[in-house]
Amino acid sequence: MSDETPNPTRGSIRERGPFRNPGWAGNTGEFDLTEDQVRGDDFVGERPLDGGHPSGSPTFPYMLADKDPEAPLFEGPYAQRFEKIRSRYPDAQAALLPALNLAQELRGHVSPETMREVGEMLGLSDAYVRGVATFYTMYNKRPVGRYLIQVCTNISCNLCGGDEVLEAFLAATETELGQISEDGFFTVMEVECLAACGFPTAVQINSRYYENVTPADVPDILARLREEGA
Amino acid sequence: MAYPYTHEKETRVLSRGFGDPATRTLAGWKALEGYEGLRKALGMSREEVVETVKSSGLRGRGGAGFPTGVKWSFMPKEKKGPHYLCCNADESEPGTFKDRELLRWTPHQVIEGCLIGAYAMQAEHVYIYCRGEFFEAVQVLAKALEEAYAANLVGEDILGSGVSIDVTIHSGAGAYICGEETALMNSLEGRRGLPRIKPPFPAAVGAFGKPTTINNVETLAAIPHILRHGGEWYRQWGTERSPGTKLFCVSGHVKLPGNYELPLGFPMKELIYDVCGGFHEGRSLKAVIPGGSSVPLMNAEECESCTLDYEGVVKAGSMLGCASVIVMDDTANVVKQVRRMVDFYAHESCGQCTPCREGTQWTARILKRIETGKGTEEDLDTLLELGVQMTGTTICVLSDSAAAPVASSIAKFRDDYLALIRRGERVGAA
Amino acid sequence: MPENAKNPDTVTLTIDGQELTVPKGATLLQAAEAMGTRVPHYCYHPGLSAPAQCRLCLVEVEGAPKLQPSCVTMAQDGQVVHTQSESARTMRTGVLEFYLANHPLDCPICDQSGECEFQDYVHAEGPKRGRSREPKRVFGRDDFGGDVLFYGDRCVMCTRCVRYMNEVARDPRLTVVERGNRSVIDTFFEEGLNGSPFHGNIVDICPVGALVSKDFLHKARAWDLDRTPSICPNCSQGCNIDLNVRDNQVQRFKPRSNLDVNEHWMCDYGRHRYHWLNRSDRLDTPRIREGGEWVDRGWTEILEELSQRLESGERPVTAVASPFASNEDLAALRALVDHLGGGRIVFRSRRAEDEIPLPGFPTLTRRRDLAPNRKGAEILGMERVGDDEGSGGLESEMGKGGVLLVLGDELADLGPDFGAQADLFVYLGSHPTPTQAAHLQLPVTTFAEQEGTFTNHEGRVQRFWPGLQPVGSSRPAWLILGALLARLAEREPPTRADQAFLHAAEVTPAFQGLSYETLGTRGALVNDPVPLPGA
Repeated sequence: MSDETPNPTRGSIRERGPFRNPGWAGNTGEFDLTEDQVRGDDFVGERPLDGGHPSGSPTFPYMLADKDPEAPLFEGPYAQRFEKIRSRYPDAQAALLPALNLAQELRGHVSPETMREVGEMLGLSDAYVRGVATFYTMYNKRPVGRYLIQVCTNISCNLCGGDEVLEAFLAATETELGQISEDGFFTVMEVECLAACGFPTAVQINSRYYENVTPADVPDILARLREEGA
Repeated sequence: MAYPYTHEKETRVLSRGFGDPATRTLAGWKALEGYEGLRKALGMSREEVVETVKSSGLRGRGGAGFPTGVKWSFMPKEKKGPHYLCCNADESEPGTFKDRELLRWTPHQVIEGCLIGAYAMQAEHVYIYCRGEFFEAVQVLAKALEEAYAANLVGEDILGSGVSIDVTIHSGAGAYICGEETALMNSLEGRRGLPRIKPPFPAAVGAFGKPTTINNVETLAAIPHILRHGGEWYRQWGTERSPGTKLFCVSGHVKLPGNYELPLGFPMKELIYDVCGGFHEGRSLKAVIPGGSSVPLMNAEECESCTLDYEGVVKAGSMLGCASVIVMDDTANVVKQVRRMVDFYAHESCGQCTPCREGTQWTARILKRIETGKGTEEDLDTLLELGVQMTGTTICVLSDSAAAPVASSIAKFRDDYLALIRRGERVGAA
Repeated sequence: MPENAKNPDTVTLTIDGQELTVPKGATLLQAAEAMGTRVPHYCYHPGLSAPAQCRLCLVEVEGAPKLQPSCVTMAQDGQVVHTQSESARTMRTGVLEFYLANHPLDCPICDQSGECEFQDYVHAEGPKRGRSREPKRVFGRDDFGGDVLFYGDRCVMCTRCVRYMNEVARDPRLTVVERGNRSVIDTFFEEGLNGSPFHGNIVDICPVGALVSKDFLHKARAWDLDRTPSICPNCSQGCNIDLNVRDNQVQRFKPRSNLDVNEHWMCDYGRHRYHWLNRSDRLDTPRIREGGEWVDRGWTEILEELSQRLESGERPVTAVASPFASNEDLAALRALVDHLGGGRIVFRSRRAEDEIPLPGFPTLTRRRDLAPNRKGAEILGMERVGDDEGSGGLESEMGKGGVLLVLGDELADLGPDFGAQADLFVYLGSHPTPTQAAHLQLPVTTFAEQEGTFTNHEGRVQRFWPGLQPVGSSRPAWLILGALLARLAEREPPTRADQAFLHAAEVTPAFQGLSYETLGTRGALVNDPVPLPGA
C-alpha cells in the first residue's frame, strides 16, 4: 500500500451507501427526517432580537453574514437583550462573555473599541476585557468574511479526510488561512473538534453546522452561500 | 435507539427520543413519562434524592467517572447562601459528540435532570454552560426551557412544591479548557477560563464563591430515569462497579459511526464489528482510543478482550474517560494522529502552569519534526521524559492528557515512529 | 495538665529532617523560609495572591500521592516535608528545563543578569543544558509606557506584574493576552502604564529581565553595584530603600521591605528622584571671606576662628534649617543655638497639592511634604515658614543683625544681598548658594554620604547608612556643629552618629529611650507622636 492507493475512508464512508446527505446533520441512518427537523428549526421558529425569554437570552448571539463594525452596541432590542442577560447573573462581570458575544453578533468582530465599550458598560478595565476576549477562540480579533468557514481537522475528522476538506475550501475560495476572499464573502479557518465526530468532516459556517462534508461537496456549498448572501 | 443508526443490542434509556422531532417538545417529553422523575423527587426529601442517586451507582459521564451521588453529598447541608448547579455542556473532547445529541433531541431530559439535581443540592440557580459553537443545539434548548417555564416546571414555586429554581443557558466562546470544572466556573464568572487550585473544592467555594456542583450533560440526563424507576432499576445494566448505560460515541474508520447507547461492560470487539459494522473491505483494526483523545491508545491485541466499563478498560491498558471510541484501521498514520492530538492540546492549554504551557508546545514540535522525517531516536526518549514531567505536576490534567497518547503510542507503535526516523517512511496515510 | 500543652495557634512539622514550630496558617514555603531554606519559586510573592502556577515550588510531603505546591499548602501538625528529595529535585530540574525551552538566554544584554532568579535557579539546580532543538517563540520588545520596557521572550509568565497592578496598585492596566504558549503580558494596546503612580514596582518584582526600567536600561551591571540601606528622601513617608551605587554615583533606588511603612513597595515619584544626589556642583572645602575673597582653610583653623566669632558675636542668633537634614544634624543645630542664648530656627519645605495613596496598602502614601525630615525638625522646635514651593518666609531675617546660621537650605530663591545685614553669616551646605553675603561656607555631606536618622510623618525614626563617599572635605553637619559646641561648652564632641543621636535623645523627650540598637533596620515610633498639622 502506498500514498497513491485511494483511501475509501477519504470523505464520507457513506459515499458507498444509500444514506448520503452531504452538508447536513446526521440523517444518514434509518430516520426519515427533513433538514428543518434535524436542525430543530421547525421547533425553534424565529428568535426575537430582544432575546426572548430571559433564561435563554445569553445564548442568542448568532454569527451573521451581515456585519456592521460601526453598529451601536446596546440600543433598541439589543438594549433589552442586554438587560435580560444582566439580570441572570449575580454580578456584572459574569455578563462579560454574553456581552462580547452580543457585540460580535452586531459587529462581526471584537475590536479594541468594542472591548472598551463593553468594559465601560460592565465596569471592567480595558485591559481586563482584552485579556478575556483574547483567551477565547471564537472572538474574531480581526474582521472576517461574510461567511466564516471553520473546518475541523481534529483526529476523528482527520482520519476521514479533514485535511483534504480544508485544502478544498482554501483552493475554492482562493484564500490563505484566516484571510478574507477577494469578494469579501469567505474566510477559512481550521478549528478543533466541533462535537460532530460521527459525521466527518464537520464544518461550521457562521452559526450552522455542515456535516459529512467531502472535498466534492465544497463547490456546491460555496455556490449556495454566494446565492444566499448576494 | 441512538442516532443516526439503530442496533437491536442498544438499550434505549437516554437516547430513546433521538431522531424523533416530537421529543424536543414538552408534550413529546411528557409522552415519554417526562417530568415524572421531577414530580417524584419533589415528593421526597433532598437527602432521599441523593441517596437514590447514590444507590444507582451512577458515575460522572464527563470523563472522571466519580460517583455522582457522592459528589452531590459534598454540598453543604446547612444553607448559608446561594448554591449553584452547573451543567457542563462544553463538549470539546475530540471524539465526543453525545452531549450535542442529548441537547438537541432531548432538551427536556437535560432540564429535568438539572432541576432534580438543583432540588437535591438546594441550588436556586442552574447554569447550563454550553460551548459557543453549539448555536443550533442551544436554540433548541432555549425553546424547550421557555416551554418549561411556561408550564411552571422551572422558576418560582415549581408545581406548587414551594421550591424555586431558575435555569440560565450560558454560552461559552471557544475554549476546551472550560470543560474542566473549575475553569468552567471561572469562565462563567466572566474571567479567563483558567482552572483553579483545589482545595478549596467547588462544593465549598465554587461559582461566585458559593457552593457549586458541576455535572456533565449525560450524567444529568440519566437522573430523571433513576428518580422515576429507582436506583436499583438502573443497576440492571452494566457491571457492579460501573452500573447503567452509556452513550458510546464511535468515530473513525468504522462503517457506521454514531452514538450508540449500550450497557457498560459491553465488549469492545462487539461494538466495533457488530454494532458499528466493522471495517471496510480488506482493512483491519490497528488502534483504538476508547475514551476521547485524553486516554492512552490501545492496540489490536488489547482490544481483543476489552470490556467497556471503567474497570475493564483500565485492565486492558487505557481508561474509559467519556467513552468516545475513536477507531483506526491499518491505513491510519498513528504518528500524524498523535501529533494532531498534541497540537490540539498545545492550542487549548490555558498557559498557567509551566509544564503544560511549555511542554505541550515542545512535544508538538518534536512530533512534527518526526512526522516530516527529521526526528531522531533520542527524540523518543525526550518525549517520554517530557511526558513524565507533564503528568501529575499541574493544576489540571490537560498536560497529563497530552502526555497520554504520546507515551502510549511510543510504547505500542514504536515501529511506526522508527520507520519515520530511520527510513523516512510514513506508515499509513490517514 | 498535659506535659507539653500545645499552643493551639501553632503547628509543629518536620522539614528536611528538622523539626520546627510555625504559626497556624503558615504555608510550607513560609515555614521553610523561617528556618532558612529557600524553596525556589516565581509566582508566589509575600505581597500578592498565590496562584500556584509556576510549579517550581513543588515539594514532597510524606503521605501525599503527588508533589504539593508549597506556596499554598498549609503546614499541619506532624507533616514530614522534603524539599531536597530526589523527586522534588527532579521536578525542579524538569520545570527549569521547560523554561529553558523558550528562554532567549540573552544574559549578555539583559539588565537582570547578576540579580536574576532564573540564572540563580538554573545554576543551582537546572539541567546542564536544555534539550530543546525547536525554534523558540519570539515576542520582541514592547514599550509599556511610563518607565517600563517589556522583553516578552524572557518572561516566565509568573503573572506577578498583572496581579500587582490588580491587587496592590488597583489600576488593572496589565493583562495576559492569548493563552497557552502564545500567552504574553500586555497593556490595553497602546494605553500603557504612563500616569499610574506606583507602576515602577513591577520591575522590582519581576524575577527575570522581562520587565526592566528605562531609566536604568544598560546603565550598570548588578554585580558592580553596592547596595546600602537608606530612606527615600523625597517625601515624609520614609519608605525604606536601598541605594544602588557604582563609581560613587547613585544608579537607582530600590525599595526595601518594611511591613510597617512601605511593605515591599515605593512610589514612582520617589523612585526616580535620585539624580540630585549625583550633582557635581558641590562645596568641598571650608572657606572664609578675607578681604572680599574666599580663602580655603582647614577644619581645625576654621572651627577655631568660628567658635571665637560665635562667642563674642552679636545676638540674636537665627537659624535656617532644612527638612533634608538628619535628626542628628538638626539636634546639633538646636543644641548650638540654645547654647548661644536661644533663637528662632525656621525651615522651608515644598508641599504637594495632594497625597497619593497606594490603594492596596494605603499606609504607603506619597505624602504632601516633599522632604524626609519635616517631622524631625518640628519635634526639635523648628518652625516651617514660606510657601509650598519652598520659597519666601525669610523676609524678617533680611534686615536683621546678629548671627545667621544656614544649614542645608540652598537659598535658591534669594538674591545676593540676603543676610548682608548679619554680623556673622555662616552657610553650611552641600551645594553652592546664589547669596553672596556669607562670611563662612562649610561643606556638609548629603544624607547619602553619612549615617543618621529621619523621622517620618507618623513619628517613626528610621536609620540610614552612607552609600556614597563624601566630597572633598565635607563632613556631616552634626560632626561640625558638635565640634563647635564642644569648643564653646567644653564638652566631649560626638565622634559617631549613634553618639550624636544619644545626645539628641538626652534633651528631646520624643527621642528618649531610643538608640541605634533599638531602631535597627526597622525603625521605631517616637514617644507621644504628634500628628503634623495638615499633614
